[in-house]
Amino acid sequence: MADITSILPYYIISGLLVGSIYGLATIGLTLIFGVLRVVNVGHGAYIMIGMYVTFWLFTLYSLNPFITLIPAFLVGLALGMLLFYVALKRLLRAPELSTLISTFGFGVILEELAKVLWGADYRGFVYSLGSLYFQGIPLPLVRVWPAVIALGLVIALYVLLYRTRLGVAVRAVTQDPEGAMVCGVDVERVYFLTVALGIGLTTASGALLAIYFQQGINPYIGHLYTLRAFVIAVLGGLGSPIGAFIGGLIVGVIEQASVPLFTMLGAPNPFGLSVFLTFTLILVILLLRPQGLLGR
Amino acid sequence: MTLSRTHILALLTLYAIILGLRILVEVVGPLGPITGQLLTLLAFYIALGQAFNIFLGMTGYVDFGYVAFMALGMYGMASGVVRAYEAGLPGYYGIVFGLIQTITLTSLLALIVGGIALRLRGAYFAIATISVNEGLRYLVEGLDIWEGSRGLIVSGPLIRLFGSEGFSLLATIISDIMVFSVALLALVISIVFLNTRIGYALKAIREDEDAARVMGVNTTMYKVLAFTTSGILGGLLGAAWSFKVASIYPPDAFNILYTIEAIILVMLGGAGTLAGPIVSGTLYGSLKYFLAGILPGFQLLVFAPILVAVIVVAPEGIVGALRAYIPATRRFIA
Repeated sequence: MADITSILPYYIISGLLVGSIYGLATIGLTLIFGVLRVVNVGHGAYIMIGMYVTFWLFTLYSLNPFITLIPAFLVGLALGMLLFYVALKRLLRAPELSTLISTFGFGVILEELAKVLWGADYRGFVYSLGSLYFQGIPLPLVRVWPAVIALGLVIALYVLLYRTRLGVAVRAVTQDPEGAMVCGVDVERVYFLTVALGIGLTTASGALLAIYFQQGINPYIGHLYTLRAFVIAVLGGLGSPIGAFIGGLIVGVIEQASVPLFTMLGAPNPFGLSVFLTFTLILVILLLRPQGLLGR
Repeated sequence: MTLSRTHILALLTLYAIILGLRILVEVVGPLGPITGQLLTLLAFYIALGQAFNIFLGMTGYVDFGYVAFMALGMYGMASGVVRAYEAGLPGYYGIVFGLIQTITLTSLLALIVGGIALRLRGAYFAIATISVNEGLRYLVEGLDIWEGSRGLIVSGPLIRLFGSEGFSLLATIISDIMVFSVALLALVISIVFLNTRIGYALKAIREDEDAARVMGVNTTMYKVLAFTTSGILGGLLGAAWSFKVASIYPPDAFNILYTIEAIILVMLGGAGTLAGPIVSGTLYGSLKYFLAGILPGFQLLVFAPILVAVIVVAPEGIVGALRAYIPATRRFIA
């Protein structure tokens, strides 16, 4: 049995790497919730779509997977616009139940379409760039670069939110939609752009996740990411994009470190237990700090 | 909406017709397109809708992990039967033990999740419930509970306990009648809820929770009550259904499809209405039965867009729309 202290730094680093992408994968959810007060229950479906975009463009046209990030983002923008006009626009003043179910239904439609078009089998590809070495343990570059790009996208979003007029409008609507409207902000346009951008970032994170994991893409892969995104969003405080990124890093580390820990403890299925751990985390946070770790 | 005797009688008649048809088919064989399988599906979906309606329909809170209750019911009943077989006890001990396990497990889950998450508002509750389903499934696999991902074999012990004749009765007509009893129980509880202060409290919560709280309604208690009732009924439905499956695997038992179907059933029929589930259950069950022959595996691609369309265009569902646009129906349909 390996000494846990010697391998722990490695798991923390790989946790931070995957956590950076998890953070990006959650930001769309919290952005949309912050601005529209709508929980996109079908969130994972858009990650799945992003994964398939990368998979198909790489497999069929040998496109560099990192380039597929751009079409994945564009597909997400388009899906976000569609989601807004079909399932959200008319329900913004309806009870919470309506948007919960309509976003859920929209996600199911995407999953079923993916199943009909591409089959329910698991798909994957192999793409390698060599490795960095950390204390003699290899860190594949296909895991390092996606994490760096995810961080870059989060910084870009931060700049957009805090340094542009659109960002000011988005933050104004987040704080007080009516006040923003009085000040001349086109609230519906902000809603529309937020959903498009939020879904775009989510499909982009799907592309990065496909590069990171490369195997096991399937129409229902999103369920696990929905669960993870919810844990992260609740941890960081629903509606706080930066909180989501930090929450992503925390969950990434917890996941990566708990799997070897459960293996050492002799659990029959360490991966299953680590998913269960994230689930209990949601309940514990909701019980103790429903506003999130960083919330006031 | 006040319930009159006509409303209740009309519903009970519909229930009696379906149960009568199921027994008739058992005795004389299929009547044209009406087969035992079709009626089994109808009973199942009516029960699922009626049980879930008590929570989703009456409170307006969405539980995205409802299937977890059914899964616990399936596992509760199956493991009870298996334990009775292994201990050399007679079969009905296993069924009684299974029922006790089902009720204990589902009420525990409902009280834990509801007690924590129902103190918060809808969005947070929805988030907590999605995780309940996936989390429990991975707990069963992760700790190897109930044979974990290898699957819990039920049919073997059932055949040994009840003989192959008894088993085939148990897997068909008897389990159908159990499913039907769950539907009826859910209906009766709905009637009781709607006719007492519980119904008024739940309706107040659904329409305006802050106002309800100000008026002195103990909102958390009523929400937890509806959640637990609906959860136990879901568990009983799973328990009744478990006789029909040869073995239980976590991915099948916790399949989110059942949750999706439950939401469709409640919203399509009309959330919070009494007759909604029987209307949508009959519609959904028959469509699923006949579509299975023509378009196998495509049901969700047909129903998910219908669900979105219902929410956007007619959030009050079929029964709600009937009552709104054809006033004459208000006397019979509630």
